[in-house]
Amino acid sequence: MIRLNNIVVKFGDFTALHDINVHVKEGEFFTFLGPSGCGKTTTLRTITGFIEPAEGQVFVRDRDITHVPIEERNIGIVFQSYALFPTMTVYDNIAFGLRVKKMKKAEVDEKVRAIAKKVDLSDEQLKKAVSQLSGGQQQRVAIARALVTEPAIICLDEPLSNLDAKLRVQLRMELKKMQKDFGITSIYVTHDQEEALTLSDRIAVFNKGVIEQIGTPNEIYNHSATEFVCNFIGDINRLSDDIVEKLNAKGAQLDPTHHHYIRLERVHVNDAQHAESGAVSLSGTVESREYYGLYIKYYINVGSQTLKVIERNDGVHLHDTGDAVTVTVHPDDLMSYAPNGEEAGK
Amino acid sequence: MTLRPKPFQPIKMLQIIGGVFFAYLFFGFMLLPCLNTLTSIFTVRNAAGEIDPLAVIRFFLAGSMSQYVWNSLKLALCLVITVNVVGISIVLLTEYFDIKGAKILRLGYMTTLIYSGVALVTGYMFLYASDGIITTQLKDAFPNINVNWFTGFNAVLFTMTFACTSNHALFLRNAIRGIDYNTVEAARNMGAKPFKVLWKVVFPTLLPTLFSLTVMTFITGLCAMSAPTLLGYDSINPEIVRLAGSSVADEAFPQARAALLSIILACFTILLLTVLSSYERKGHYLSVSKTKAKLQKQKITNPVANVLAHIYAYVLFIIYMTPVVMIVVFSFQTFSAVRMRKLDLSQWTLVNYFGKQDYSYLTSRGTYKVREGSISGVFSNEATLGGIQTSFVMSVVAAALACVIVVVACNYIFKHKKTGTILEYALLFPWLLPTILICYSYRTFFNSGDVWYVFGQNLYYADRVRILIIIAYTVVKLPFSLRMIKAAFYAIDEELEDAARNLGAGPVRTFLKVKLPIILPSVLAVFALNFNALFTEYDMSATFASTYGTTYAMVIQSMCREEGLYGYNVNASGRRCASTVFIMLVSGLILYLVYGVGARDLGERLEARDRRRKRIDRVKAVFRKKQPAEAASPQ
Repeated sequence: MIRLNNIVVKFGDFTALHDINVHVKEGEFFTFLGPSGCGKTTTLRTITGFIEPAEGQVFVRDRDITHVPIEERNIGIVFQSYALFPTMTVYDNIAFGLRVKKMKKAEVDEKVRAIAKKVDLSDEQLKKAVSQLSGGQQQRVAIARALVTEPAIICLDEPLSNLDAKLRVQLRMELKKMQKDFGITSIYVTHDQEEALTLSDRIAVFNKGVIEQIGTPNEIYNHSATEFVCNFIGDINRLSDDIVEKLNAKGAQLDPTHHHYIRLERVHVNDAQHAESGAVSLSGTVESREYYGLYIKYYINVGSQTLKVIERNDGVHLHDTGDAVTVTVHPDDLMSYAPNGEEAGK
Repeated sequence: MTLRPKPFQPIKMLQIIGGVFFAYLFFGFMLLPCLNTLTSIFTVRNAAGEIDPLAVIRFFLAGSMSQYVWNSLKLALCLVITVNVVGISIVLLTEYFDIKGAKILRLGYMTTLIYSGVALVTGYMFLYASDGIITTQLKDAFPNINVNWFTGFNAVLFTMTFACTSNHALFLRNAIRGIDYNTVEAARNMGAKPFKVLWKVVFPTLLPTLFSLTVMTFITGLCAMSAPTLLGYDSINPEIVRLAGSSVADEAFPQARAALLSIILACFTILLLTVLSSYERKGHYLSVSKTKAKLQKQKITNPVANVLAHIYAYVLFIIYMTPVVMIVVFSFQTFSAVRMRKLDLSQWTLVNYFGKQDYSYLTSRGTYKVREGSISGVFSNEATLGGIQTSFVMSVVAAALACVIVVVACNYIFKHKKTGTILEYALLFPWLLPTILICYSYRTFFNSGDVWYVFGQNLYYADRVRILIIIAYTVVKLPFSLRMIKAAFYAIDEELEDAARNLGAGPVRTFLKVKLPIILPSVLAVFALNFNALFTEYDMSATFASTYGTTYAMVIQSMCREEGLYGYNVNASGRRCASTVFIMLVSGLILYLVYGVGARDLGERLEARDRRRKRIDRVKAVFRKKQPAEAASPQ
């Protein structure tokens, strides 16, 4: 569907994107994830044509569109700010793209009303100025405006970042549902890893202008390809040399020169079931805890380091600050990287 | 992004035409005429007919010429003090302290926004001149009083002190309203007394605005024109205009002296603006608060101070309002009442607006003659109507031209960082030069058939001078228009342009449909403010001093000079009052349109429309209920 081949983008002397290669499949929900300034928006803008790459090609359905003008690409975009035209009503905003195509008035009206219905905008709201709508409604207008011209692809540039936390979660679900209903190939840009994990079919993790990993949410989370990815996605413990030694003593065969990580939920507290063969049990004391309701995060001092651990709040096995506990770590749950950051055998 | 040869696009063609136009504008109508003025100082011929580059400088140092510079400096320095005192007072009294009737007071203090320049000065003269209302009253009470007290330096200082507070009323008011009230509360909470809060918390936040206002006031004082001309004070500008109209036969190299004076004025202006901009670049106090609390008025707790503050506020109010009230009242008075400066409450008339009455006068032969229709009003007096018409057309054209040029320029400036900056500075260039220098330069430079780039036409000749005045108006208004419209362009989210392109719109459509509607309210506001300033401007047209370019302000000024018996100027005082009222109405309407109606966004306009519709529906509903009732009643 969309293929980026060896894309390089330069701003003056600064190389913003180094050799980017991505292949997005038809109907896929594909996310560009990364910290700010990593090049994810630049890549998106290269696809929509706002930026012309110094090297490489952009293909859509095997057609090279690298040098096709923006207005002829037929790729919809929802901006971070929504970029709704403030001097036009909601209706005129949605109709803008259709009118540019010199569509007949009746046809424009029909299409605008149809898409408005799909994104849940009432006739009353269509007559309003965009400034009279709430953040969530504005987002729906932006989506309707991007979809009404029936683009082959829709690009979403951090469309939820302007909203408050509760609305963000609610609209995230609506967005996913809409994407499924329309069945449209979507490229989504975000720096929020939770958003990326819940929404995406596949994710590309960006860092400093290169793609660190492309994979499904599970691959990205549980089999992070690089040290950067494993640190960027979710919370994680880097094991101290002392614990690595103890694991090796149990026959784990870990390379002591490598960096070894374990996710918070893979560390277990006072759990005999997990203390089976190969696992290492460490005794420690609870330093402090953060109560989240759904789960509890413990900081447990095991001598050589403080491990962060997440425990489900089952209401029975609660530990207080100062409690002595046993912590279990299994070598199968580790992710290991050579000092250069590349994933390595354990 | 690589460079690859692209096919020749129409947009490139537009850019080339634009570039040529702006170069023509800058070199042809800003740089060359002013350089010509500069060089004219050094190409003076002495009595022996030889070129003597330093003759004017020697003349300047030896004679009385430097007196004009000192006079201007003295006026500017005094104005800085008096205008700041009055300006800060009126803002504090209406916005910061709790003074009874603040709303009415504010209206009074803001009257200078609707009339200024010649209209205002003649208004003050109407009260205070030797035959003015107040002076006449005073003379009746104290026969020994010097009736000519309102002339020279004191009169100019008094008039300009109150005339020049408009900027304080606008900008200082905004600054004080922008104060986060929580900071005031915090200071009070920590034990600071009200005046300590004012001095230590409020004042520092106002300092940047006050500094800018001080510099602007200083420049206004240096470049004063209408007040010194009308009230008789020898400052730089009136002297430049006098010299420009003088000839070599009368005095030594008048043109070169005028040039020298205008260059001196320019040097002062450039120096001051450099100081101002370097100060502005140092960065400003910015409110760090995201949740600003609205300023609440401070009660003056000391009863004596409170009474004094109220007295002070109302004395200022009377000074501001008296000319306005008197002019409005007298504009509806009869010819004789206006002439005698005696209010006649039994007779009201529109003669000063539409009148066409005859006037009989005693000739030198001892016979009476009747001059038909000579007591005419603003809208029937030929000269006045002509002035209004000339001013109206020239102002509309120039105000619109300045807006169009600046919008096109801004569109370019925001897309091209490097060349855009050059263009921006070129358009800001006139800001550095006193308007009088620009006009004087035009007058001397284009008063010849040798300027090749205007096709060898003498633009100062006959009615072509109107074109020259329009160009001068436009050029002078460019910097202000650029600053205002550029601010409007900043408000356009860059993503909007991307969104329009993404939806398939080309650059032209994007500009017309998306960007222009966003900036249009600001552009119209700038147009209106430009028009407002140009419609009653005096300084520039007086510098051109051409009968073909006699503007409205010049007509008003001439009405002030002679209450002639034979000429068209019979009933000049009445017409002057009516003129001033007309100007107040026009300016007031424009300000209402700009700040009242124009400031609404689409949402507010739609809401207003909904409210209107509902009102109409309610009225309709009432009628519908009535109709069946009426239809039923005959049975």
